Amino acid sequence: MTKTIAHLTDFSFSYAGSGTKAIQEINLAIKEGELIGVIGPSGAGKSTLGYALSGFIPHFFTGDLSGNQQLFGQETSQTPLSELAGRTGMVVQNPFNQISGARYTVREEVAFGLENLGTDRKLMDKRVNETLERFKLASLRDRSPYELSGGQQQRLALASILAMEPDLLILDEPTSQLDPAGAEEVFESVHTLTETSSTTVVLISHKLEWLAEVADRILVLVAGRIRGQGPPREILTQPDLEPWGIGSTQYTRAARLASSAADTSQPALPVTLDQAVGFFKPWI
Amino acid sequence: MAQLSLYRPGSSPLHKLNPLTKLAVMACCLGAAFGFPNPYWVVGFYLLFTLSLAAWGGMLKPFLVQNAKLILPFFLSLFIIQGFFYGGATVLFPLGPFSYTLEGVEVAFGFTVRILQAIAGMTLFIFSTRPDHLMLALQKHGFPHQAMYLVVTTMQIIPQFQNKALAILEAQQARGLETQGNLIVRLKALFPMVVPMILGSLIDIDERAIALESRAFSKPGPKTSLIEIPDSETQKILRWCLVAAGLLLVVWRAL
Amino acid sequence: MDKFRSEFTTRTIVLIPIAIAINVGVNWIVQQLALPLYLDSIGTVLVGVMVGPWSAGLTGVLSVIVISLFFWPPAVAWAGVAAIIGFMAALFANAGWMKSWWRAALAGIITGVVAAFLSAPIAAYVFGGVTGQAGTDALVASFRAAGLDALGANMGQGIVSDPIDKLITFLIVWAIMLGLPERLKTRA
Repeated sequence: MTKTIAHLTDFSFSYAGSGTKAIQEINLAIKEGELIGVIGPSGAGKSTLGYALSGFIPHFFTGDLSGNQQLFGQETSQTPLSELAGRTGMVVQNPFNQISGARYTVREEVAFGLENLGTDRKLMDKRVNETLERFKLASLRDRSPYELSGGQQQRLALASILAMEPDLLILDEPTSQLDPAGAEEVFESVHTLTETSSTTVVLISHKLEWLAEVADRILVLVAGRIRGQGPPREILTQPDLEPWGIGSTQYTRAARLASSAADTSQPALPVTLDQAVGFFKPWI
Repeated sequence: MAQLSLYRPGSSPLHKLNPLTKLAVMACCLGAAFGFPNPYWVVGFYLLFTLSLAAWGGMLKPFLVQNAKLILPFFLSLFIIQGFFYGGATVLFPLGPFSYTLEGVEVAFGFTVRILQAIAGMTLFIFSTRPDHLMLALQKHGFPHQAMYLVVTTMQIIPQFQNKALAILEAQQARGLETQGNLIVRLKALFPMVVPMILGSLIDIDERAIALESRAFSKPGPKTSLIEIPDSETQKILRWCLVAAGLLLVVWRAL
Repeated sequence: MDKFRSEFTTRTIVLIPIAIAINVGVNWIVQQLALPLYLDSIGTVLVGVMVGPWSAGLTGVLSVIVISLFFWPPAVAWAGVAAIIGFMAALFANAGWMKSWWRAALAGIITGVVAAFLSAPIAAYVFGGVTGQAGTDALVASFRAAGLDALGANMGQGIVSDPIDKLITFLIVWAIMLGLPERLKTRA
């Protein structure tokens, strides 16, 4: 029976000074090692959900909350951010804002979190080197973080948190401010992450093809409420995602077009490349 | 430039000293600048000790250039203002209703020499010390780690900010903002440049703070460091001696 | 001590380097526009208004240290004045003066006058009455020529430039507070 890492029960939250609820009546349990994708139109409350899962609500963002919040088996409200330090982390959109500024080189920047945790120097050195290798930052180790490209900086932000081996990682639209090459670098890094560690991940993104590839479950959030959750192939092929401004993967679109053109009944529509290959194979 | 720094890398014995020791050297130099009742002693100290230290640090030439650059405006202003307005008895030459006096020159000399020694002490320290190493050394001695963040981050984002300021200046000029002309015109140009620049940088605060929290920044407890700053018992004793010497010199003048 | 600590949240610590960079950056713009002002305390006043007295005082001191180390070494002598400017800004904000433009302007003028009174002795006694900057030194010289002594001349120069400088500073901060999203206006 896998551990539940984070749990929200009937949870609602509105930011201080705001009358409207940013998220409402959320019931969600996230198990250890899962990668949950979160999709929805802008303003749906995806970031807020990320904050509520990881403890940034209520400790960093104040407001009115109701319902229950649990993280690592404890009441989130009873566990201050300083105790959660190193166990939960968040990667945000802007790569530049995540450079701490307190260190001169990439290598030291990766060590920054470990230094704050009081990690022994020998262990720290080892972890830093491993992390640099894992996220292909080793050749940049002596450069200033400010000299890096957007994609490299975002990878650095990811690496710097993962060096601490957190239990929960939230990625809030990590590629939205990057060019396609930079976004690709980040996709690769997240793949590496899923393959080499058991960190539980919540990935908020518009990149449906990517989510279809890596997510165990996808959550649809609209106007602060969960409208659906399930495996990618189930969620992303639903027709009623359209009115909420959520598109579909290129594979699904191609398959839909092909099916209607061929006027055949549709087996399950694909959402990833592999599935698309399987879908089209009988016709070739 | 990646960060704001006047640090000149080197491998001289001066560079290799612990940053706190170099801080103590600077304290002693400042003490000498404002201690010593007689300004001629300050000159002696400058020539004998301060310059030797600069040479020991392998930085004599840039050091002298920096000293000259910084003291020049003071030198000029002082010799003019004190010379003409101090009001001594020995007139060197008159100029209209004003008299240039010897006493004025002496006072100007006194101030100039002291300011020079103070600038020299600071330059010695700044040229030979990496700012992040200084903060690390302070952290080891009990300064909160937030202090290191504050100082080092400030120095790294100032150049970023200057670039932003330059970009905004150019963008507004391209939009037709008048930045030359009479005083009122230039004053009016100020608000549309400054307010958006500041608002833009304040919006980033939440993301930056979240990033820091994600690196366990607010976790209490002792901090470790990846890089090692060398220190020794000898240096510790030396530091106390230097600071004591500086203080004694100032007390001497006060008496 | 608790009030002191409560000011230094992570957000505050993130704000301070930005505020210092604002001090340096705006000062640079002012020089580019060749205006006879300093405008090197906008960040400090901002911290005073957004957070509180202690962090604003610290911002002032750190600003001065940075300017001293990299731009103009003598600046460090005015560290105390910079801290007090931050303090005063926080006190005015606490009293609600930053909510209307004319009260903010008045707060600026008062702060400027106090700054002038505190700065003059430093210039006069530490630096022999000069700061090495042609514009202000010329002003000091003309006051000396008019018969004022060292302290008087520096005071005269200060009274002319500081209140105007701080007036504009406080007005800019007032304008910024208008444009700032609610959630950032955390007051200790």
